Amino acid sequence: MSFIKKFIEQETINRRNLLLGAAYGVGGLVAAKTLGAGSAQAALTDPAVAWSYRNRTNPYWNEIVSGGEAFVESLGKSKDFLTHLINEGSSEKSLSDVKSLLAKTNGNLALAIDTNDAPNARPVVESVAEAGAYVSTLWNKTDDLHPWDFGDNYVSHMSWSDEGPAEKTARILLDAMGGKGGVVHLGGIASNNPAIERLNGLKNALKDYPDVELLDAQPADWDTQKANQVMSSFLTRYGDEITGVHCANDTIAYGVLEALRAEGIEDMPIVSYDGNPQAVDLVGQGKILATVFTNPHWGGGITAALAYHAAIGSFKPSEEPNEHREFYGPTVFITPDDAAEFKKSFIENVPTYDWTDFWGPSNGQIMYK
Amino acid sequence: MNDLLTRDMLVKWAPLIVLIVLVLMFALIEPRFFSVRNFARIGISSAPALMVAIGVTFIIIMGSIDLSMEGTVSVCAVAFAFCFLALGGTLWSAAWLALPLALVVGAVIGLINGLVHVKLKIPSFMASLAMGFVGTGFALLLTGGDRVRIEDEAFRSLLTVRWFNFPIMCYVALAFLLIAWFIQTRTTLGRNFYAVGGGEELAHASGLNVNRVRVLGFMLAGVFYAVGALLAVGRIGIAETATGSNFMFVSITSVVVGGTALWGGIGGVFNTLIGVLIVNVIGNGMVVVGLPGYVQDGVLGLLVIIAVVLSTDRKSVDFVK
Repeated sequence: MSFIKKFIEQETINRRNLLLGAAYGVGGLVAAKTLGAGSAQAALTDPAVAWSYRNRTNPYWNEIVSGGEAFVESLGKSKDFLTHLINEGSSEKSLSDVKSLLAKTNGNLALAIDTNDAPNARPVVESVAEAGAYVSTLWNKTDDLHPWDFGDNYVSHMSWSDEGPAEKTARILLDAMGGKGGVVHLGGIASNNPAIERLNGLKNALKDYPDVELLDAQPADWDTQKANQVMSSFLTRYGDEITGVHCANDTIAYGVLEALRAEGIEDMPIVSYDGNPQAVDLVGQGKILATVFTNPHWGGGITAALAYHAAIGSFKPSEEPNEHREFYGPTVFITPDDAAEFKKSFIENVPTYDWTDFWGPSNGQIMYK
Repeated sequence: MNDLLTRDMLVKWAPLIVLIVLVLMFALIEPRFFSVRNFARIGISSAPALMVAIGVTFIIIMGSIDLSMEGTVSVCAVAFAFCFLALGGTLWSAAWLALPLALVVGAVIGLINGLVHVKLKIPSFMASLAMGFVGTGFALLLTGGDRVRIEDEAFRSLLTVRWFNFPIMCYVALAFLLIAWFIQTRTTLGRNFYAVGGGEELAHASGLNVNRVRVLGFMLAGVFYAVGALLAVGRIGIAETATGSNFMFVSITSVVVGGTALWGGIGGVFNTLIGVLIVNVIGNGMVVVGLPGYVQDGVLGLLVIIAVVLSTDRKSVDFVK
């Protein structure tokens, strides 16, 4: 069965279960309220919802935030109900914006945030907890910071481990190369965690393919034009020795494809990552052999939803198991066989998600090395 | 003393010598660097950058600076792509009108840029930097963060069709280089750029409308940015907000490395050609000889400093700002 089918089926089942669960949860909440079961951990009423992130010019963050907007719309509010805190890549701004908003809302706040870098997560979480507000984090936090150390106020953390999925796409690539020849890797910004993990994924896979040589790995900074130039330089250095290309993401793959086209090379095996719509089209045409979709729309929506529902008391985070507090986001593999199906169900219509199915598509508890 | 070896001659030819030394150095380390196919690759990566760098050369000769190229290139690329697709999506239809339209868009942005600088009396550094941000924001507004693909075979022949081993875009860039050279040496406007850069007060006192020259300079730069945008789209087949990324560093560096002085009045478009080639030879060469990625940025910075030291005549200025 294809990855997509499995994913969708899993989704549907989970959704059904959780709808029931959610109905029960809301019912319980109403009952508790009518019975005047006082608020020991004072749940908030009608908290403000905010997303704090880098900026919207990047398609990835655009998707994340569109998920946050879809979530607030599901509450019957307008898009504008979501407050945007834009840090422009500055941790200091990220923290000071959060503090201002906490002061403004008097702690009546459900916050979804990527704190820009890992060390900034602790001061953000501490300020939020101190103000009695609720926060869910995405991507960045240090390994020693855990939601369960903050009672209910630090609701959850979601991240992705790209090593496993990148290894899987690497295997698809290495098989397509017939298990021999030379592969080059074009990576993201060298210090970025996903860039490191995606290269590691390739290296892990290569251990099982002794006849394939990793000719070179160079950073292409997630940038199409840079990737284009790096790939053409690779062609000078290695020429026909290159029989496969492993790209750290889709934008890099576009640049690689054009560098190959300039040389009249049409059938080079290439794999990439991210599942952008154009990459999915290219997978459908067989020009890219595989890419990985991490569903940023869902990730952005569910992070806001977790903070919000914890804030209004739909569930009590401290009663949830650890794998519901720190977990990996979803990964969906897209190969030429299922590209068309994927496009139909994820790109042509953005699925309407059940934003109370908090953990359905997630991918297990975060493991630390 | 031998006439061929005077200081002036040496300074004049230093950028070319730097380029030749670099090529020989990379060729010695990795013989595969020295092949026609690789020169074609360097040509492809240089062509859009050359257009942008020529644009800013005119501004720098005037002693001003223009940092709006990233925004301008993005807006021109996106505007071109949308019009091209709306008018038929292939060069063999009315869509070819998108080409001149992109140049007009570039000129208009340059005009606004120049007027903001001259009329509001904002230093060109700040005015153009701000215009660049406006441009990037506007391009984002147009695309909504998406990429626009240009698939038309005729337009993409800029990259895919080769004459004498070099793709058409290299010849287009060469043609525009000649046009720029013509403007620089054979028109009043071109000579006025040097007059303004060499001594603005003097130029003004001799009856030259300096403000008009400045505005025209920014417009002309905008047109060349637009040509750069078209070649950049031709190279990767995608127009997006990020199309303009990195052009600021590459173009300013190239102009300076080529021997055009940032204080104005010295240099020209052929210096810029050499400068662009130096920067791209370094970029290509470092990957070809296999320097690790994390060393490359540092080495590029060092080589740029060395190239500037060798190729500009610092004796002729009293102070550096």
